[in-house]
Amino acid sequence: MSQQTLADKVGVTRQTIFAIEKDKYSPSLEVAFKISNVFKTPLEDVFIYE
Amino acid sequence: MGMSYKEKSLIASLGATLLVFGWYFYQVFSNQMFNIGHEFTFNDIFRPIILIVILEIIIQSFLAGKDKNKEDERDALIELTSYRNGYWVLSIGVWFLLIQLLYVGSGGWYDILENSSPAFISHLLLLFFVLAEVTNFITQLYHYRKGI
Repeated sequence: MSQQTLADKVGVTRQTIFAIEKDKYSPSLEVAFKISNVFKTPLEDVFIYE
Repeated sequence: MGMSYKEKSLIASLGATLLVFGWYFYQVFSNQMFNIGHEFTFNDIFRPIILIVILEIIIQSFLAGKDKNKEDERDALIELTSYRNGYWVLSIGVWFLLIQLLYVGSGGWYDILENSSPAFISHLLLLFFVLAEVTNFITQLYHYRKGI
């Protein structure tokens, strides 16, 4: 899945998806849940708290 | 990754602000220090402001036609953080001027506004507004590059 497709599904910009991937931005809970819903996986499989 | 619409817009606005107000304040302060040429009045303040508004309209219409993106929570967070930094710069400037105005005419070493016209004090206030705006732009650019 491209960054743009994921961004469109979640309702954020492609730059935000890029920043999340590069660990330059911690998304809100709402966006985090939306991303995990897109991949149909639990939240803790997508994000790890460090 | 290339620059986003917001980053391009910020760089253009920062460049325009530095260019227009840099040139303007250079004229104002060199005049004040060396007391030469044209005396700047309060009405002169409107010239760079009108110029920057026109430049911003041109810049934004040029960039918007290319790749305008919608804004999201990250943009809002970066904007909030940056406005807070700009607010501090503006607060320090306004408090500095307020305290200085209390001591005008006292003759002490701290009376740096001695013999300053009201128009010059207005220009100093405008300078702090511009510095706050520049701080806002630079903080936003920093967070877009380094993360938040």
